[in-house]
Amino acid sequence: MTATKTVFRRKPRRKIKGLAGHLLAISALTLWTLFALAPILWIFTMSLKSPGDIITYPPVFVFDPTISNYAEVLSGTKFLVPFWNSIVVTLGSLVLTLIIGLPTAYALARFNYRGKESIGFAILSLRFAPELLIVLPLYLIYQNIGLYDTYLGLILAYQLVTLPMLVWMLRSFIEELPQELEEAVAIDGGNRWTAFRHVLFRLIAPGLGASLMLSFIWAWNSYTLPLVLGGRTTQVITTGIQQYISYQSIEWGQMAAATVLSMIPGILFAILSLRWIVGGLTAGTVKG
Amino acid sequence: MKHSRILPYLLSLPGLAILVAILYPFLTGAWWSFTSYRLNRGDPEFNWGENYLNLFSSGEGGHALLITLTYAISTVVIETILGVGIAMLLNKGKYGNFFRILIVLPLLLPPVIATLMWKVMLTQNGLVNFLLESGGLPTSLWFNGPQTALLSVILVDVWIFTPFVILLAQAGLRSVPIELREASSIDGAGPIRNFISVTLPLLRPVLVVIILFRGIDSLKMFDIIYTSTKGGPIDATTNLHVMAYLDGIRSLNFGMAMASLMILWLLTYFVANRLLKIRRQESLS
Repeated sequence: MTATKTVFRRKPRRKIKGLAGHLLAISALTLWTLFALAPILWIFTMSLKSPGDIITYPPVFVFDPTISNYAEVLSGTKFLVPFWNSIVVTLGSLVLTLIIGLPTAYALARFNYRGKESIGFAILSLRFAPELLIVLPLYLIYQNIGLYDTYLGLILAYQLVTLPMLVWMLRSFIEELPQELEEAVAIDGGNRWTAFRHVLFRLIAPGLGASLMLSFIWAWNSYTLPLVLGGRTTQVITTGIQQYISYQSIEWGQMAAATVLSMIPGILFAILSLRWIVGGLTAGTVKG
Repeated sequence: MKHSRILPYLLSLPGLAILVAILYPFLTGAWWSFTSYRLNRGDPEFNWGENYLNLFSSGEGGHALLITLTYAISTVVIETILGVGIAMLLNKGKYGNFFRILIVLPLLLPPVIATLMWKVMLTQNGLVNFLLESGGLPTSLWFNGPQTALLSVILVDVWIFTPFVILLAQAGLRSVPIELREASSIDGAGPIRNFISVTLPLLRPVLVVIILFRGIDSLKMFDIIYTSTKGGPIDATTNLHVMAYLDGIRSLNFGMAMASLMILWLLTYFVANRLLKIRRQESLS
């Protein structure tokens, strides 16, 4: 009786306190969101401005929008060639990573064998080494064997970025599934391959998708590798965008338009898979 | 399930092949760091660790190490505090989902592109200086000022990567049962006490992952710094990774470049190794 009474009495006060808390939370979040969005919105408005509107000071907020920057960017090769190169190199790296990474992750997750932990750690440690440690020597090796400024050369080097995370994430996804699933298939007369193909592969498909998307973003965003190993013909988006900035002048409008266009793939990919990505990175640390 | 002894090795073979292939450039680089190798001056010659000595006797290496550590420690501390704080706010109510999708956007851009955006915002006649001026505050040189350059690159890092911390912290916070917090507040614990003795210990495993990724990535930060300042003005933002690029690709002094990369590698390897060990212990217990 007394318990119900206290709860009853405490409730309204708590509610007001809760409301104030929510208002405070919403205003703080709004503030951070403004900070997070401001540069993106600013570059977007810039991409719609004519050169005259861009260089005026104080900056103008109301102006006649124009799509001439986009028309310019999409009609020349300055943007489209790097954009195409980025797509080729990124997708190529993903395919290679999948071929190498999936069997490795499976072996690491499902077998106990000598050197297993060392292999796992060695692959993961690639992710934590400074890129130039490998890429700087590769620069000379590639020039000697003719891989400098080629798609194949870049795709091979991109494994440094894509492989470690794919293996790490896939391994935890597979480990989270009970081994009994495959044993059940074995009892029914299936072998390891049928178990993998029919049971495991379907269950890890979402995780696999997430790992691939994360690898996509990492490869797409990569800068050090194409900067050192790619030349004129294999310029990708991150190195290509710098062409708009030269010592003589900066083509602000076109740079802004190219920036906006190159944001799109990453955003698309990530929004589709945000939930799984977080699950993959935190696998084994979050229970329940 | 029975299987032949060699099956796991067979399956890891492609992965092992990559590791072995990487060993070649790695060992080549390690060897160069002990030689006076300049691209335009003949073959590498062993010089008894002179590069390492030069690096630190000239003060360049010490300075770059200082910048590396300052950058890494400040970004990790700022991003972790902001990220966990914002994640807690996001978990407070249903509006969290709406904010989350907007807040996470900076993380999805290539860091190079994000940095270019900030370069546009922070030019002398840029938006930020205009806002400061209209508010009656002094304007700043940002990336071009010797005192402000490092702060500016840290600002960009915080802008890009705080969402990374937010996402992971949010996932971690979900594993903290509400009943536990309610129980302790009934016992009279205030929100601060609650955070320190209930939330934080349960958040620890996720914090380890956050510090692992953010720590290592900021120790070896290249994209943001090179795009915005190229290590300048003078050497105000030259960390070890940027210095190695300038030594190697700009001055073609591969010996010196590899020496600073070896030092940076030892640093990241040590940090990663420690944190991965802690992580493994956590997931076992």
